[in-house]
Amino acid sequence: MKLLFNRVFDGADEMYAIAEKTLNETVAELGESAPINMPNTGYFLANHYSYLGKRVTTMGELKACFPEVKSWMRHEQRLGDAFKSGFGTVMAAEVIEACKYAKSSEPYGDEYHGHLSDAEVRELGVPLVTGDIPGFVVIIGPAPSDEEAVELIKGYQSRAIFVFLIGGIIDQAKRMNLSMGFPVRVVAVGPEIWCAAHIISFVNRAAMIFGAVQPGDHEAYDHYTFHRIRAFVNAFDPVADIVVACGGGAIAMGFPVITNDTKDMWPVPKSLIIQEDTKNFIETSLEARDIKIKVTKIDIPLAFSAAFEGEIVRRNDTWVDIDGSRMDCFEWVRTLEAHEVEDHSIELIGPDIDSVEPGSRMALSYVLEVAGKNMQSDFEPVIERKFHNFLNCVEGVMHTGQRDIIRMRVSKTAYEAGFRARHIGEVLYAKVKSDFESVVDKCQVKIYTVPEQLKALRAEATKAYDARDARLLSLTDESVGVFYNCILCQSFSPAHVCVVTPERLGLCGAVSWLDAKATNELDPNGPCQVVTKERVVDENIGIWEDVNEAVNQASHGSLQQVTLYSIMVDPMTSCGCFECICGIEPMTNGVVIVNREHAGMTPLGMTFSEMASMTGGGVQTPGFMGHGKQFISSKKFMKAEGGSARIVWMPAALKELVGAKLNKTASELYGVEDFVSKIADETVAEDVDGLAAFLSEHEHPVLNMEPLM
Amino acid sequence: MEQLKDFTTIEQMEADTAKLKEMACAACAETWEDRKVNQTPQCKFGEEGICCKICSMGPCRITPKASRGICGADAHAIAGRNYLRMAAAGSAAHSDHGREIAHVLHKTSPDGSYHIRDEGKLLRLAAEWGVATEGRDIYDVAHEVAEVGLMEYGKPFGTLRFLSRATDERKQLWEELEIAPRAIDREVATSMHMTHMGNTADADALVRQSLRVGMADGWGGSMMGTEFTDILFGTPTVRATESNLGVLEKEMVNIIVHGHDPAFSEMVVVAAETKEMIDYARSKGAKGINIAGLCCTANEVTMRHGVRMAGNFLQQENALLTGAVEMICVDVQCIFPALGPLAECFHTKFVTTSPVARIPGSIYVKFETETAMAQATEIVRMAIDNYENRDQSKIFIPESKQGAVVGYPCEQIIKELDGVTNSHVDERGSYMPAIDAIKSGVLRGAVAMVGCNNPKVRPDYSHIEIMKELLRNDILIVATGCSAQAAAKAGLLSKEAKFLCGAGLRRVCELVGIPPVLHMGACVDISRMMLLVTDIAKDWGVKVTDLPIVGCAPEWMSEKAVAIANYVVATGIDTYLGIEPQVKGSSQMMELITEGTRKLTGAGYVINKDPHELVTAIIAGVEAKRAALGI
Repeated sequence: MKLLFNRVFDGADEMYAIAEKTLNETVAELGESAPINMPNTGYFLANHYSYLGKRVTTMGELKACFPEVKSWMRHEQRLGDAFKSGFGTVMAAEVIEACKYAKSSEPYGDEYHGHLSDAEVRELGVPLVTGDIPGFVVIIGPAPSDEEAVELIKGYQSRAIFVFLIGGIIDQAKRMNLSMGFPVRVVAVGPEIWCAAHIISFVNRAAMIFGAVQPGDHEAYDHYTFHRIRAFVNAFDPVADIVVACGGGAIAMGFPVITNDTKDMWPVPKSLIIQEDTKNFIETSLEARDIKIKVTKIDIPLAFSAAFEGEIVRRNDTWVDIDGSRMDCFEWVRTLEAHEVEDHSIELIGPDIDSVEPGSRMALSYVLEVAGKNMQSDFEPVIERKFHNFLNCVEGVMHTGQRDIIRMRVSKTAYEAGFRARHIGEVLYAKVKSDFESVVDKCQVKIYTVPEQLKALRAEATKAYDARDARLLSLTDESVGVFYNCILCQSFSPAHVCVVTPERLGLCGAVSWLDAKATNELDPNGPCQVVTKERVVDENIGIWEDVNEAVNQASHGSLQQVTLYSIMVDPMTSCGCFECICGIEPMTNGVVIVNREHAGMTPLGMTFSEMASMTGGGVQTPGFMGHGKQFISSKKFMKAEGGSARIVWMPAALKELVGAKLNKTASELYGVEDFVSKIADETVAEDVDGLAAFLSEHEHPVLNMEPLM
Repeated sequence: MEQLKDFTTIEQMEADTAKLKEMACAACAETWEDRKVNQTPQCKFGEEGICCKICSMGPCRITPKASRGICGADAHAIAGRNYLRMAAAGSAAHSDHGREIAHVLHKTSPDGSYHIRDEGKLLRLAAEWGVATEGRDIYDVAHEVAEVGLMEYGKPFGTLRFLSRATDERKQLWEELEIAPRAIDREVATSMHMTHMGNTADADALVRQSLRVGMADGWGGSMMGTEFTDILFGTPTVRATESNLGVLEKEMVNIIVHGHDPAFSEMVVVAAETKEMIDYARSKGAKGINIAGLCCTANEVTMRHGVRMAGNFLQQENALLTGAVEMICVDVQCIFPALGPLAECFHTKFVTTSPVARIPGSIYVKFETETAMAQATEIVRMAIDNYENRDQSKIFIPESKQGAVVGYPCEQIIKELDGVTNSHVDERGSYMPAIDAIKSGVLRGAVAMVGCNNPKVRPDYSHIEIMKELLRNDILIVATGCSAQAAAKAGLLSKEAKFLCGAGLRRVCELVGIPPVLHMGACVDISRMMLLVTDIAKDWGVKVTDLPIVGCAPEWMSEKAVAIANYVVATGIDTYLGIEPQVKGSSQMMELITEGTRKLTGAGYVINKDPHELVTAIIAGVEAKRAALGI
């Protein structure tokens, strides 16, 4: 095999020879004093100006520089020489092109674009900064077929990538009547490889215009282009040595070359990539240059806007009710390896929502699988929690809850407009990719609707939820330096603020202290902010001056004080999406806790829904408090009122869920063993008398506690 | 445009040493420089390896007049025996360190001082060794794996288990050459037996056994030490740290951990991080506790905790000369007995912890696995109590320090390489990105820089000069031990060191996000390098001897280095030495260790005391390997 560097060196020599011949002929024809004026630029021959620091304005000056160009083309077997030869090749190419412009100000007429003006460079400044143009591709053709050429160009266009074309692919595009030109971001630069000089000139001028790079500071150009210009090259088979030499320059500037040529081609990671399947050029190239496409349009038949976030879908308007309180419905984010995730794959496993009668209940769950070099499992719950916002933004779709207690309604109107299960995936994909672009490189969505499958998957998801909760156990309120607030729910409940501590997760159950921390790290200006805890007022009830200030600010003044550990004195407010609600039972001096899934009656004479209506909306109702399930076994649960020993009644299912942890807590706090067996449930009492009898029979510790009120 | 602004030169390091030497003079303390002068000229016969004092008929030495010892052993036999004994001692030292770690693994328990930190690695090793794992408590598995490992030291039959990790070509060759090591202790014992009076006098046989006893280290004791240390304390991952004496803190209790076996120093680090100890230090007027490492203990704790590194072998006296060290706590190997008298010149407490390294002038605290944490806490307390005894007039802490990024075991290197794969064309989890970079010429090759300091040459100079030249020539470096520390002190372990590299290596550093010198650990971790090279050969599909990858020990001094050099050569990797092995008195031995082994294993030594000539030879060697591969 011919060595890669030898290919660069031979190609450089080839370009130099052509340039030498062209230069000599042009000088002979026009004379050394003939001016060289590239149209509409203040940067002379921009490549010569950038690399050599020389302002070339005449044929004579161009000729004088030529030996210096040659001196860049050293041939030692080192990448440094291959890079420099690449730049030498670019300058030699610029010589060839400059000779054309010396003879005519419009050497290409309407056929090709040729030189790009300074105005065109500047025009791209804003979209480059905003990321509206995520990158540039230089395609050196021809593609295997005309159709494929156009498919590739359009593929890039649809991703807002700016396209430069050189060589045969331009003829292919023309044959296919593709509309080209600077405004549509597809530029037919020129027919020969030396036209690449115009693109490099364009890039180097960007470095001078936007990056204030000084002419002659060669390394500074490399540094700027490597870090700022998201460009890359697609070179179709066959790739001649002279193209490889230009590629050497491109790679030196940080622009990877992707080719389907395998002959004498040496793969170099992130730099020279052999992709034999040209259909895969786009994805391969974007990954090679670390370009993540910002998804702006979501492919759904409905409007997507924050305006719909608070929209309610009523029962009568509902086409399908995805009800996690009765069926195995859950949402789950998990991290996989990059190769396990096919970006933007959305898979529906099971029947669609068109398989049910209008107004039916249906089991449906979705798993978002992500991969990313900066992804951490800490971010999974953070992403997951945002689903609520994302899905609520769809017109005609309502979403509440999280984890495995989600509830989602799709309205009849939405259904009729064509909304189907896979559109849930489209929304999640688009939003996760754009909102979490710093961590999610690839994302796929799987939507499941087969009940048997859901059961198994839910168990798996529950394990993941449990693992997240378990991580929190090692953290205590005293051991950490700061708390966080969480205002995720303010779209529903503008006055509500959660203060999230290690021992008190957000009432929704989905935002633990770690989640809040991760959210804060992901987006320092986002929904979770640091709350300091330096000025303690009462550690027992849980009052800090700084916590109060933070709550006051985040609730825009509607809340002045909260306590973290009391339900009687300034209890923390609720948004409405709490997992559980607890309320005092005056007869027994205890509290009754009921979780959202429990539909039955409680000894308070109220159901969950009725109790829930007592609080929520950011209102403080002493005696009632919404909270997460995991908070029940926390040592900080009602600490001010004596702690979890106050719990007199919980639904059996909830007892089962939190039992082990709660027993451990009671044992550690009160030395009471098997505490949960002393707590009544719906099987023994649904009224106060039954409850009181049960408590005395089981010697519940609350009987010896001081009155609550 | 950008360059390494604060690269520490050898001259700057020497200026610090000179200033510390003044502090030594003021304290009436002696250092290695003084003793080196006193020892000059050194014994020529010893230097050339032709003094035999193996039996009490001797000592005999070979001179132009006397070409044989009393028993008739010639220069080749004498030099060969001495050489093998060095290798055997080195192998014994590394392997006994490995054995200690195995015993610690055997004593792990959920509520003891030592736990399993890398379950995955334990389970992989259990699978490799056929230890059942299904449904078993992880600690049961650990104990059985430890037992299987301990059996490797004395099993009566068969060869070492880890050999199965080698390439097929090597495995076959080792069998053919009869250098596949049997039980670790057996190879050491056989070596001692062979060199006993009245046994092997054939230099060729002695060199072959040197290879074999070396292999018992690199593919035996050392490899086990590394694997088990990872299982116990976690496989290292990338960490930022600092290096050189500037890491000592003026207003904190400075404790230096020094030696090689991290079992106890890990506990000292943990103990020093407890609130109880920190509060205690504060109560004594210090701002906190500062642990710094020396030698390979530093390498071990830096890549698992980010503990900062005070320096390498010849820095050990300098550290004490700062007058700011409350305690130097040592385990085994490379500890100057000079620390005893030196510590007495300062307030420094010198604590020895291993029955293997008992040194006069030290406080001996015999480290026991069962009580390690309590002992470590006591030791830290002792250091804190000593803080008030500092003599302010004797304190001089040089400011020199460099940032370093450490912790690149094989697993981490692969992880880094995964970062430059393209999921549409590449497979992850292999060395292919590095291989592609080498094949294309972007990287010319790789060099494993290892070994000690040796007063025979300018300390650290050879390490740093050779490394800089390799970097300029796009040759990636992996480093361990004192060589890695020399690189750290100079700044070569920082990511900014890419500015010292040729365009190829620099680009690799930028794309992968690594420094150009990858810190792989302590000298016991050269076993990692064997696996690295083996797996590169496997991924590439060529022989180890074909790879443009070589080893270099420019300032080696210890017997361990002889064992290492032997297993590196046996593995098929050319080894460039900047210090001559002590066999020069035998032309046959010189031929055997350079060209002789090359005929056997395809690799040998290249020896040159001039670092610039040595690095030229390395680059030529790498390029020759490339040419042979057609790349």
